[in-house]
Amino acid sequence: MLLKKVKGIHIEGRKAMSKSKHIYQDVNPQFVYIHLLQQTSPLKKLVEVGDKVLVGQVVAKREGFGEMPIHSSISGTVTAFKKVWHSSGKMVEAIEIENDTKYKNDPSVVKELNPDSLTKEELVSKMKEAGLSGLGGAGFPTYVKYMSKSPIHTVIINAVECEPYLTCDLALFKTAPEKVLKGLKYFMKAIGAEKGVIGYKKYNHEYPDLLNPLLKEYPNITLHGVKDVYPAGWEKYLVEQIVGKTYSRLPAEAGVIVDNLATAMVFADVVEQNMPLIKRAITITGEGIKHPQNFYVPIGTKVADLIHIAGGYEKGLDPANSLYIAGGPMTGRAILIDDLIVNDTLGGVIIKPLPEEKNHPACLGCGKCSDVCPVFLAPTEIQRAFESKDLDSIKKLNADKCIACGLCSHICPSHIEITDYVVRAKELLRKGA
Amino acid sequence: MARFANAKAPFVRLSDEKGKDTKTIMRDFGIGLMLIVLFAWYKNGIMVYAAGNCSFLEMMYPLVFILLAGFLAVLMEGVFFYLTNPEARTFKGLKKLLETSYGFVPGVILALLLPLYTPIWILMFGVFMTTIVGKMLFGGFGHNIFNPAIIGRVAIMFTVFGVVLAAGGFMNPNEVIYDAYGGATPLTLFSQLRTINYDALVAPYGSLWNFFLGTIPGSLGETSALVIIIAYFWFVFRKVIKWFTPLIYIAVVFLLTWLIGIVNGEAGLWFPLYGILSGGLMYGAVFMSTEPVTTPRNPLGKIFFALFVGALTVLFRYIGVFPEGVATAIIVMNIFTMPIDKSTAVIRSTGLNKKTLVPFLMLVLLLLGIMVYAVLKSIDMYTLSTFMMGGWF
Repeated sequence: MLLKKVKGIHIEGRKAMSKSKHIYQDVNPQFVYIHLLQQTSPLKKLVEVGDKVLVGQVVAKREGFGEMPIHSSISGTVTAFKKVWHSSGKMVEAIEIENDTKYKNDPSVVKELNPDSLTKEELVSKMKEAGLSGLGGAGFPTYVKYMSKSPIHTVIINAVECEPYLTCDLALFKTAPEKVLKGLKYFMKAIGAEKGVIGYKKYNHEYPDLLNPLLKEYPNITLHGVKDVYPAGWEKYLVEQIVGKTYSRLPAEAGVIVDNLATAMVFADVVEQNMPLIKRAITITGEGIKHPQNFYVPIGTKVADLIHIAGGYEKGLDPANSLYIAGGPMTGRAILIDDLIVNDTLGGVIIKPLPEEKNHPACLGCGKCSDVCPVFLAPTEIQRAFESKDLDSIKKLNADKCIACGLCSHICPSHIEITDYVVRAKELLRKGA
Repeated sequence: MARFANAKAPFVRLSDEKGKDTKTIMRDFGIGLMLIVLFAWYKNGIMVYAAGNCSFLEMMYPLVFILLAGFLAVLMEGVFFYLTNPEARTFKGLKKLLETSYGFVPGVILALLLPLYTPIWILMFGVFMTTIVGKMLFGGFGHNIFNPAIIGRVAIMFTVFGVVLAAGGFMNPNEVIYDAYGGATPLTLFSQLRTINYDALVAPYGSLWNFFLGTIPGSLGETSALVIIIAYFWFVFRKVIKWFTPLIYIAVVFLLTWLIGIVNGEAGLWFPLYGILSGGLMYGAVFMSTEPVTTPRNPLGKIFFALFVGALTVLFRYIGVFPEGVATAIIVMNIFTMPIDKSTAVIRSTGLNKKTLVPFLMLVLLLLGIMVYAVLKSIDMYTLSTFMMGGWF
C-alpha cells in the first residue's frame, strides 16, 4: 500500500553518559519490596510476616492467564506488607523483606548437571517455574510464548535498546557475552527453532566484537545489525528487518519469537543454575544525576539507594522543576515521589530538568505525526474523533493499533500531547466496546 | 523524599529543542516567501528603475506595497485580539497572542497574488477579508478552513477587480511602454482568444524562456517559475512542505493540458509547458496547495488533494469564465479537506480491503470523471470558432 514501510526516525541517543560505565553489581539493600503485581495481574502472596525466606524461594504467585511463581530476591525475614510505588505510576502492595546479607540460596537452586539433555517440555516448564518474564518493558510471561502452536523457525534476541538514555542491556551483555548465546540456544531448543538471530543497533560494535569469536560453537546463530532509528526495538520492525515478513498480532504468525537480551541471559542461568528471575539491570541516568551508571540489582531494591550510589542528584536540582521518569524517555512515566522500587520491567530511571517553557502555537496541521507513525495512523484525526467522543470513527481509524511509541508527540512542532489523545481514545474504545 | 513535576511521555521532544518547533517552520516559510518578494521587487522596481522608467521612490513602491500588506494584517489581527480577547488588553498578552498567530504571512501572500497597481484601499479591503474573515473569524491560526490569502484575492476579484485594472493593473512601467500584448497577462489573452496557437499565445511575450524567468506581466509573485522552484527546493530541504504535493499538482495540470492540446489538434509540448508556466500555477502549487492548515494532514490525503486540485484547475482555467483557475480550485478543495483527510486516514491505516475499497474507488472515479469531463468539454471550446463562445457553457 502507498507509503507503507516503517522507516522510523533517528533520535539523539544521549546514551554516552552511562554507556561506558561498568555495571555496578554490589548493591546490598537493607530491605527489598516484592510488588504483588505482575503486568496488570495482582499476585497472591504465599508468605506471612515473620517468615524466613531464602534467595529464589517462592513468595507469591500469579494466577489465571500466565500463572507462574514469583521469587524472593534476597534472603532474610518478611517484615511487613506495605504499599509502595510501582513503575506504572500507582502505589501497589508489596512484600517487605529485611536483608540478612547472607544471600543463602533456596535448596531448589542447584546446578543442572547436564543441561543439554533437557527436553522441550522440561525447558518450558523451567521458564514457568523461574517466573521468567520479558525484561524489555512489557513483562509478558515468557513461557506463554513458547507454548505457541504455530510452527516457529526463528528466535530473535532483541538487543536493540532503541530508547534514548538507556544502556542497561548493553552493560549487562558486556559482563557475560556467552550467556546470550547459551540462553538463545536453550530458547531455540524449547520451541524447536532451527535459527537464532541477535538483532542489535549497528553502532553498538560491542555485539559483533564480543560475539563473533564465540559464534563458531553456535552454528545456527547469526547477528543482524539494524539502523539507528526509533522504534527499531519494536518487535514488528525487528521481525520485518530480519525475516522480511510482517504479521498482524503476534510474531508467531511470521514463525518468529522475539525475546529481550536480558531475558535470554537470565534464561541461561535458569537452565544451568536453576536460578529464577530475581535480578535485573537498570540504568540510572539523566542530566540530573551526578554520575550516571548501570546497575545489576535484586528486584525490589529501592531506586533511592541506587541514586545515592550514583552520587545523588546534580547540585542545584529543583525537584519541582524536574522529571523523575520510570522507564525510557519515549514510553516511560513521570513518577511524582522519588520513592520508586525496582520491579521486573523497570529498565531505567531518568532524572532530567523540565524543558524551558515556550509559547507554543496551535496545531498547524503539518501532518508530521501521520508521517512518522509506525502503524500508519492519523493521530490528528483520532484526536478530532476523540474530542467529539465519536466511537465509530475512532474504531474506523484503527486507534487500537497504536503502540504508544510516542513518536507523534516527539515530532510535533507545537508540543501537542497527541500520543496521549490517541492512548485515551484507545481506552475509550475499550471501555465503550 | 522530594516531589517531582508531572508530565506526559514522551519526555524527549523536538519542540523543546531550538530550531525544531513551529516557529522555525514559519521562519523557514517566511524566508522562502521573501525570495518571491525580492523577485517581485526586482522585476517591478529595480528593473524599471534601471531602464530609467521611474524615479527612485517609485522603485521602492513594490516592496513597500507588499510589506504594507503584511503590516496591515498584523495590525488588524491586533485590533481583533484587542476587541475579542481580554488577555490581549495588556501589551504582554497581546504580544504573546500575536507571536503565535503569524499574521504577517497571509498578508504578504495576498499582496503577492495582486497586481502591482492595486489601490491601497482595495489592498486594505483584501487584507481585511484575508485576516479577519478568512482567518480570525474561524478561530485564528490553525483553525481556518479556507486559505486566507485566497479568500482575500477572490473577494477582490469578484467585486472590485475592474477598479484594479482601471488603476493600472498588472503592467509595470516597463511593460506599459513595450506593450506587445495589448495590456493582457498570458491567461487573460488566452481566455479572450480561446485558441491554441503558439504565435497568438506565446510569441507576444517573447518565448517560453521568459515565462520561466518571469519577465512577463502578471500578479506580483506569480510570474517567475525559476524563483518559485528555488523556494520549493528550500522548503523541501527544510522540511517545511511535503515534496510531492506541488509535483503531483503540476504534473496533473501538465498532462491534462497536453491531452487538451492533443484532442484539439495541437500535440506540441509547448502548450502544456505554457499551461504550467503561465498564471499562478507554480506559486499556487508551492505556496498554497501545500499550506498545512487548510490541506489534508496525512500523506495519502495530500496526494489526493493535489490530484483533485490539478484536475479542477484545468477545468476552471480552460472551461470556466475566469482566466485563472488556481485560486478557485484550491479554495473549492479546501472545503473537502476534512472529508478527504478522514477517508484517506482510514484507507491508509487499514490498507485496501473490502471496507475501504468503495470509498477509495469513489475518490478515484470522481477524479477521473472531472479529468475526462475537462478534456471532452475542451473540444467544444476550442475547435469551434471563437464567435460561438458565449453560448456554450
